[in-house]
Amino acid sequence: MHKTLTSPRRRTLLAAAGAAALTSPLSVLAQGAEEIVIGGSIPLTGVFAFAGVGINAGIGDYVKMVNDAGGIKGRKLKYVPEDTGYKVDVSVAAYKKITSQNKVNLYYGDSTGFSKTINPELDRAGTTLMAGASFASELNDPAKYPNQFLVGPDYTEMFGILLKHIAKEKPGAKVAFVYSDSEFGRDPIEKSEAAAKALGLSVPVKIMTPAGSVDVSGEVIKLRRAAPDYTIFHGYILAPIPEFITQGKQQGMTSKWMGTFWTMDSSTVMKMGPDGDGFMGVMPYRYYYDTEKAPMLEKIRAMRPEYQSTAYIQGFLAAMLFTEAAKRTLDAGKPLDGKNLKAALNSIKDFDTGGLIGVPITISGNSIPVGRVYRADMKAQKMVAASDWIKL
Amino acid sequence: MRIGTLKETYIADAALFDSRTQKVWLAVGAALLVLFPFMASDYWLYLACLVSINVASATGLNILTGYTGLVSLGQAAFMGLGAYTVAVLETKVGTPFLLNLLAGGFIAMLGGIVVGIPSLRVKGLYLAIATIAASFIAHFIFANWKFTGGTGGLSVPPAKMFGMALDTSFRLYWLIVPVTILMLLGAANLFRTRVGRAFIAIRDRDISAEVLGIPLLRYKLLSFGLSSFYAGVAGGLWAYFFRVVTPESFPLLMSIFFLAAIIVGGMGSILGGILGAVFMTMVPELLKLVVGLLPGGTELTVFLSPVRTVIFGLLIIGFLVFEPHGLAEVWRRVRRFFHLWPFRN
Amino acid sequence: MDWAYLFEISLTGIAGGGLYALAALAFVMVYKATRVVNIAIGELLMVGAYLFFTFAATFALPLWLAIPAAVLGTGLLGAVIERTMIRPLLGEPPISVFMVTVGLASVLVGLVEMIWTADQRRLPDFMPTQPIMVGDAFLAPKVFWGAVIAVVFIAAVLVVFRFWRGGVALRATASDQAAAYSVGINVPRVFSLAWVASAMLAAISGIIVGSIGGISSSMGVFGLSVLVVVIVGGLDSVLGALVGGILIGLIEALAGAYLGGEYKLLATFIVLVAVLLVRPYGLFGTHEIERL
Repeated sequence: MHKTLTSPRRRTLLAAAGAAALTSPLSVLAQGAEEIVIGGSIPLTGVFAFAGVGINAGIGDYVKMVNDAGGIKGRKLKYVPEDTGYKVDVSVAAYKKITSQNKVNLYYGDSTGFSKTINPELDRAGTTLMAGASFASELNDPAKYPNQFLVGPDYTEMFGILLKHIAKEKPGAKVAFVYSDSEFGRDPIEKSEAAAKALGLSVPVKIMTPAGSVDVSGEVIKLRRAAPDYTIFHGYILAPIPEFITQGKQQGMTSKWMGTFWTMDSSTVMKMGPDGDGFMGVMPYRYYYDTEKAPMLEKIRAMRPEYQSTAYIQGFLAAMLFTEAAKRTLDAGKPLDGKNLKAALNSIKDFDTGGLIGVPITISGNSIPVGRVYRADMKAQKMVAASDWIKL
Repeated sequence: MRIGTLKETYIADAALFDSRTQKVWLAVGAALLVLFPFMASDYWLYLACLVSINVASATGLNILTGYTGLVSLGQAAFMGLGAYTVAVLETKVGTPFLLNLLAGGFIAMLGGIVVGIPSLRVKGLYLAIATIAASFIAHFIFANWKFTGGTGGLSVPPAKMFGMALDTSFRLYWLIVPVTILMLLGAANLFRTRVGRAFIAIRDRDISAEVLGIPLLRYKLLSFGLSSFYAGVAGGLWAYFFRVVTPESFPLLMSIFFLAAIIVGGMGSILGGILGAVFMTMVPELLKLVVGLLPGGTELTVFLSPVRTVIFGLLIIGFLVFEPHGLAEVWRRVRRFFHLWPFRN
Repeated sequence: MDWAYLFEISLTGIAGGGLYALAALAFVMVYKATRVVNIAIGELLMVGAYLFFTFAATFALPLWLAIPAAVLGTGLLGAVIERTMIRPLLGEPPISVFMVTVGLASVLVGLVEMIWTADQRRLPDFMPTQPIMVGDAFLAPKVFWGAVIAVVFIAAVLVVFRFWRGGVALRATASDQAAAYSVGINVPRVFSLAWVASAMLAAISGIIVGSIGGISSSMGVFGLSVLVVVIVGGLDSVLGALVGGILIGLIEALAGAYLGGEYKLLATFIVLVAVLLVRPYGLFGTHEIERL
């Protein structure tokens, strides 16, 4: 039996060093004391990547703009994104990672599922105000989701804007709903049917297509038999809308075709081909190439000479609202936490977004119920305004 | 080197942990498990809880597929049954969480037995496809029944232990990990009993097993029932952990994940279930770490999600082609090396 | 009872079933020759569609070049898959090979996402656009022509299996490998041939499906419906693929029209369960006798 080389004291020192080494990679405060951190679970890859890349660029650009101008009351913004591939468990893991490494007061989430899952954690921690890519009606409930808000109208409000426009254009019209079998698709249907009836419109048919369905000819036949004046698609990005329109036109349907936010990005609509000419939908923001006077759009065009998607504008606007909420909270001398930031956000009244939204906005609850109807002009390859800005 | 491990009674021979070194390592492991939550950040605690839930569910699938040879792609659906039961009980009735977990396991067990009924008529691949059908039917019910909240799902209030709400990963760790360990011990003990040996006989040659006097339908249903009980309890833990249960939470992809986990870990051994679940849950995180360390960082993150998918597939193919007995076999080889050292074989 | 509506829906359902039948044929081809359940059939479809997209849209090749190029490319992929993943697992239990195809599906989806991103895209139009009218009933032209192509190929395969030496060799290898070896049939070559043919059929199916519903990295879910079709028709029956496809297409269309879109998948899966319980080997499949 050989003598032990290490004395008891040396052993405890080694053990302490070992324990310290074990803990250090696991909990690191990586941010400067003055910075205001915007965390993000962003879908940079996966099915939502076309939006995620835009949102990421939008937030990043606005943060850079603010920091170049000196930050908020001398405090710089720091944007910490993580890719989630649009999977809820990865989003939650990203949230945990970012919040354990930084003191996060503002967060951007990638999906309805994530917003719902993280809500109890947000309420418990109480430190963070969250916005997201989702426009789910369920989130538009300040009592249930006090620390969250939507960067635009919720899906029911989007339908409401379209229905208001229809009622003005053609009173008593027949409006068909075509939606996907998913939470996203089903979200606004029930309430919107009631809203349509309240506006004197009728809903002759509601058609739900199973997720991932390829052949929609059966559904088109059903739609044709209902002979609607307008057909609103919801719960899709692109497919199966072009197929519906093509087959519908082949069968002699005269319906006007409309869609909601996620279909309405310029590049998506342009993919519909010649049959998509005249496709309409609701968009709460101005398009990148809108020619009306909008100082913020001009700044964006100066920063980014190539076309930026509506997702970019959503990210940009979210960062703008984050900044405004933080500024108002600090101006009032209050600490940055969920409750104060939300209260500051709700104090936004007749706020000028620099033209990103065409009218000054007021955020009294969790959403911004403003939008405009745009129409696709295939010859010019652009979306043109088809109505005034509609406020609900 | 391992010497002097002779046994004098049958009971000693059938013991789960027989040598002193094993018991020492077990004690060290237990100590680490107890100390871990005090040292780890929220992010690692979150991962630990997730790994634990996956281990519990993978062990359940291992009982069915690894030990009884009945391939099932319905594990996620049974977890969903357990999760929804817990969610409904917690929101509408408010019974204590242990009761809810047991109820979740029980309802899932019933579901498993129903799905297992065709297993006498339908074998092998056909049974796997029948479980896919069951999984879709379950998804349909969850999505269209108002009672289960439709496509919006249900929000679950936190479990309450002695009046304290289990709403952080730290607190949930103390619920999830002990339950998982109990389930692991249960499964390990199962295969020391007659029932366990009957399962293994069914896997090896079910017609011969019947000739030996094992009533096939009864034991196959038992296997389905036990495996889905495990899935149901794991699903209940999942519900308390994520606090939101929607029909999209338990897709077919999750069943494939668990099947892949037991293949990678090693079918037919409890250790295989543990290793497989840990490995498959941690691989995406490891990947993120590796990509973060590589030069050209942000350019590569665009590829992170599809690379994950590719690696997932490659792992399954790779293990099946090169190491069909999984990580557990690798572990056994390492152990054998240490047992025989300094001799070679 | 609106008979005109029923007729119209049934017509479109049957034609849609033709699409299923073509993809099911690709599946049956592989199972018949190698006894492998290829769950990645939907993903092979997707690869065919994406290759066509690359050749026709990105490289702007004319149609008569793009389609064969895409089909041959997918055939090559089929050969590679057979050589690297299926051949090494020749003696293993069928569940292992099944899991390998599950892994393969994942790999293919990931590769497509890496090269082409996960965005939804549309294929260039190439099918005639004149709507087909049967009396008052309307049939979408894409679906009609897709069904016609499917029937043509199935008839061709049936003839080939009956009369061509290669087809007979395929059937021989399927029923007894050892006997086929002893008669001098080059069994490994037959395996490769089966996988190449299956991949090419899947590519054709993918191009048609893609031109109807667009392409995306999640196109592979089509494979699940195809699985139902082959179980109903019989895993190793070519005729079963056609009959099963038409039957499932009809049931889906009727369920969608009269019950609602969410019942489509449910109806097909209930049919699947019913068939599994009553006639587990499908309508035309061969009954496998288990021996001790």
